[in-house]
Amino acid sequence: MRGPGRIAPGLLTDATRPVGFRFDGRRMSGVAGDTLASALLANGVRVVGRSFKYHRPRGIVTAGPEEPCALIDVIGPDGREPNRLATTLALHQDLAAESQNRWPSLEYDVGSLSDLFARFLPAGFYYKTFMAPGWAWERVYEPLIRRAAGLGKLEAIVGDHADPAETLHEHADVLVVGAGAAGLAAAHRLGASGLRVLLAEQDVALGGGSLLDGRWDSWRAKVCAALRAFHHVRCLPRTTVLGAYGHGVFGALETLSPEESARFGGLRERLRIVRARRVVLATGALERLIAFPGNDTPGVMLAGAALKFLRHYGVAVGQRPAFFVNSDEAYETLFALLEAGIACAGVIEVREKSLAAERAHALGVEVHAASLVAAVSGRRGVRAVRIADLGGRHRRWLQADCLLISGGYSPVTSLASQLGAALNWREAIAAFAPDLAPAIGQVAGSARGVFGLAAAARDGERAAGAIAAELGRSPSGAGLAAELPPDTEATVMAALWEVPARGKAFVDLQNDVTSADVRLAAREGYEHVEHMKRFTTHGMGTDQGRIGALVGSAVLAQARGVPLAEVGLTKARPFLEPVPFAALAGAEVREHYKPKRRLPLHEWHESAGARFVPTGLWLRPLVYSPQPGWDAVLAEARAVRRSVGITDVSTLGKIDVQGPDAARFLDLIYANTFSTLKVGRARYGIMLREDGMLFDDGTTSRLAAEHFVVTTTTANAAAVLEHMEFHLQAVCPDLDVLLTDVGDQWAQFAVAGPRSREVVAGVCEGVDLSNESFPFMAAGHAVIAGIPGRLFRISFSGELAYEVAVPARSALAAWSALLEAGRPCDITPYGLDALNTLRIEKGHVTSAELNGNTSAGDLGLERLLKPHGDFIGRALSQRPGLAAPDRLQLVGVRPVDRTLPLRNGLQLLDPEGRAASLGYVTSATPSVELGSWVGLALVAGGRRRIGRRLTALSPVHGESTEIEITSSHMLDPENLRVRG
Amino acid sequence: MLRIPCPWCGERDETEFRYRGDASRERPAGDAGLTAFTTYVYARENRCGWHLEWWLHVGGCRRLLKVLRHTLSHEIRAVGGPGDSLG
Amino acid sequence: MSAGEALGAASEAPGVELAACAVEIVELAAFRARASELSGISRGLGLELAAPGRAAAGSGQLSVCVRPGRWLLLLPPDSPGAQAALWQRACAGVAAALDHSSGLVALHLAGAELREVLSRGCRLDLDPEVFPPGRAAATLMAQVGVILARLPAGFVLLTPASTARHVREWLTATGRPFGLTAGPDVTVAELSVAAPAVGG
Repeated sequence: MRGPGRIAPGLLTDATRPVGFRFDGRRMSGVAGDTLASALLANGVRVVGRSFKYHRPRGIVTAGPEEPCALIDVIGPDGREPNRLATTLALHQDLAAESQNRWPSLEYDVGSLSDLFARFLPAGFYYKTFMAPGWAWERVYEPLIRRAAGLGKLEAIVGDHADPAETLHEHADVLVVGAGAAGLAAAHRLGASGLRVLLAEQDVALGGGSLLDGRWDSWRAKVCAALRAFHHVRCLPRTTVLGAYGHGVFGALETLSPEESARFGGLRERLRIVRARRVVLATGALERLIAFPGNDTPGVMLAGAALKFLRHYGVAVGQRPAFFVNSDEAYETLFALLEAGIACAGVIEVREKSLAAERAHALGVEVHAASLVAAVSGRRGVRAVRIADLGGRHRRWLQADCLLISGGYSPVTSLASQLGAALNWREAIAAFAPDLAPAIGQVAGSARGVFGLAAAARDGERAAGAIAAELGRSPSGAGLAAELPPDTEATVMAALWEVPARGKAFVDLQNDVTSADVRLAAREGYEHVEHMKRFTTHGMGTDQGRIGALVGSAVLAQARGVPLAEVGLTKARPFLEPVPFAALAGAEVREHYKPKRRLPLHEWHESAGARFVPTGLWLRPLVYSPQPGWDAVLAEARAVRRSVGITDVSTLGKIDVQGPDAARFLDLIYANTFSTLKVGRARYGIMLREDGMLFDDGTTSRLAAEHFVVTTTTANAAAVLEHMEFHLQAVCPDLDVLLTDVGDQWAQFAVAGPRSREVVAGVCEGVDLSNESFPFMAAGHAVIAGIPGRLFRISFSGELAYEVAVPARSALAAWSALLEAGRPCDITPYGLDALNTLRIEKGHVTSAELNGNTSAGDLGLERLLKPHGDFIGRALSQRPGLAAPDRLQLVGVRPVDRTLPLRNGLQLLDPEGRAASLGYVTSATPSVELGSWVGLALVAGGRRRIGRRLTALSPVHGESTEIEITSSHMLDPENLRVRG
Repeated sequence: MLRIPCPWCGERDETEFRYRGDASRERPAGDAGLTAFTTYVYARENRCGWHLEWWLHVGGCRRLLKVLRHTLSHEIRAVGGPGDSLG
Repeated sequence: MSAGEALGAASEAPGVELAACAVEIVELAAFRARASELSGISRGLGLELAAPGRAAAGSGQLSVCVRPGRWLLLLPPDSPGAQAALWQRACAGVAAALDHSSGLVALHLAGAELREVLSRGCRLDLDPEVFPPGRAAATLMAQVGVILARLPAGFVLLTPASTARHVREWLTATGRPFGLTAGPDVTVAELSVAAPAVGG
């Protein structure tokens, strides 16, 4: 036994294994199997936090995830994690927890003064008071409110603080949510009919309400053993279904047991994405609160929670409890506490008489019939409760150290309503019950308003039978209904929402929403329940206001003078419980955040000292030098201009296009004509989107009459293939064409520079590389260093250049042979930066200019648009607006002062005009040929402005440079070098 | 999340597919003119109800599917190839 | 227990084993006009073309069909491009034969807990009753495209060469709690032993 509250052995606890922990710095002791809440109660702790808005002392109210008040911070070795629920947090050795919302301490909280000024802080207060002036919100109000209100303390979570998590994909015939009597019975029958079943239970143990009644132990043990024996049934305790996402998809969060966590290297959560053909919602019913003054006093707790603390953990929540109830079910707690030797102060009962009251009376408990609780005395814990008659008139005070309340049970309808179920008002239980379409699944047990364990179990079997029949299974005869302990006969409950008395009566404990706030919302015109929620914040927060939801609706209904059935409930959207971001991210974090694509020669580049840059998913060599700065880049680029360089362009997309209609198809896809391309030749092509804007560019080579190979930009490789596949299948399905992604099959290297011919000649034996036999834009099969491959005479750098393609497995052999052949010319490997320098000098575009907003005309490529014949984007490329003279057009830029640098993104302004941007620099580099920085820019009516000067401005860097507009063809405009 | 029953691969998560727009539209003939293409590219009904749409199964068979989906309930009533006319 | 599960369970050792698989990979893609001639040509070369969604074996080779009208052939190692050229000649005018020996990497995966590992990155239902030996599918795993074929002796996984290292690293990290071990290289002949001749 640990602590004064521990009076009996618990179902889930092991009293022989003490567990030490700290709460607000105080050392305490619990036992293995405890939650933090049960351990605190066992230690006699009453106040566990201060409330959100009024800073009122609050205690533990429930024993599960619906808890509104017992939110605490967990202090770990790496930081503080706010808003953990004491009622679900498993106690472990050396757990350090802190209460929230108190300063300087839980006992003396300065903020609680706001409680005294409460009448100045009604619902909607923030919206109204902090309207103006606008600047004040950020600087004054928000910091103030955040300090005063707010939940847990959010500290910067650095480095590896987030605990690891993972995501799992699950499939089942039937997902059963909830393992109470209904869920267990349903899972058993579904399993017996051979269906694959996943049974998810949010608690650490299967059983639900049956764990609270000793008569059910043997039935439960038998069903659980039977479920274990079915290899196609899996039970997932500690797993909360968070939401229903349609098409049979559900998200479920599993909190790992300590043993499982250790096996998975400290893993804390596991997100399971479940796909199921049908669902059984056996989510049970939640006990609800009653709105009366002082219903938030520490020690006021739901009656069912007290029963759970007793049965699960052997903890008595008080030594002299009083009860305030309206149904027979609530008396189970009384009977259990009496049996455990706890003397009860009395029962305040709204009904005139009931079977349960008679039993209580027979056991010597005083029952105050037709009575209400009108007030609670004691600020940090219940000392006495004031009994009133149904009209609110004072009767007497009753001494008690806690008050166990029950306003009846509401079916948990959140998943059902996410699945489109209608909610029907049921007078007998004063609650809504869902009606789910059979094609989606069944609701069973108290989730459907079928109360009583035996009735629920039978209902679970019914639901399972219906689903088995739907899925074409014969209903199994192996029912367990015959052995069910009978349900106790009960008197019907009496609806009770609010006690007519003065004082704050809370409908939402977490958000400090009172019944008066709800009435104010109705008065202000926020009559719809969803509007009332947003005005008052009722139903928001980590608990979604679950235990008070219907009470709030009832108060609203009364204020509006309409039936409660008409007001309804707010819709609970996913997630039904707070989910750590780490669990959503799963294992795809840090180095696993996204996959990395590596070049066939990745290791070679690495060993040559390359610095890599991520481009899309690819890792590409940026420059072969550890030094930052431009020197190494310019040395690489200079080598290409002066002698020869080699670079790895394997990241280019490569699409193999074959078939009798291949040429016709390319004519449709590209703005150019490819049917006239000769075998053995390549052509530069541009591709438009159907809206007429440029999409991608690249070279296409004709290897045989019906065989082409298309190259795309690295960035658009996947998108171009999809674009082609879409149009082939949707627009011209009659064409016989095969599109195949061969991007990873081929390694491709550009050998560029005036001496590239000698290098390539050195590895391609028997090929005549003269201009006559292998001119600019020639393409074809070739044997490279003994490897069957392809050779193209194409150039991105503006120099005489070749591209060599070999199967990726032979990449190293071909690359090494090229380096060897290039040794006499001092061949230099160059990276992406030098590649960029070279193409900017030459005026070639990449994704910086092919940015989705540019047309062929904008980039000076209009001569490539074929004058006759259809192609994708043709019609809309002729929109008059695209011919407007002030469109952003591609030009070159150079600083007037040749010593000054440029940068990407500089805004270009007319020095004499208004301070409106005329365009911007898309790409900039120091030049190796032109003796200054050069850039490409998109400028309004840019081609007309060639020769003019503009101001280049970077407001972010506080820089201003005078630049001159040039042609984008800054180097070798006659294109002599590539033909050299 | 949608689960799309691919005629070639079986039922798969939406994640494997790329949405390619309204499948009730047919590309006009090349010489149909600016208005016809403007309508084809831009004019959309944003209908609440049954909607015919293209989904390209990039994570599977790479076939283009025509899917009849209800935009409110997400129910999928029929799936076929580009040549199929669905309900 | 279904037939599929019996087949699957027979060879499953505890844990998870990951091995490289040296193969030539050729893709046959039928032109529409003469597609019907392709299976005859293939049979002539000793390989049965699998039905859609299936893997089929014949004389130490495997065919896998995950796209209509297309087959991936897993063939014993040969000199670069030789197998593609051989099939290209045989299929001229009927189908394109594309070499993917460099573009795809084949891995072999086996073991009783393999499904646990794969379910952490793969959205397919790999229950042996749903996905028995002889089944094949293209899907995503660990965020990249993969082709999975289940054989009596475990799974063959094909993934693009540029992401192969990512997939290997992912499998290794994910398989660690399940005792993943690296096995000796597997040949295509070993894989195709006892594979169902033609999937239904």
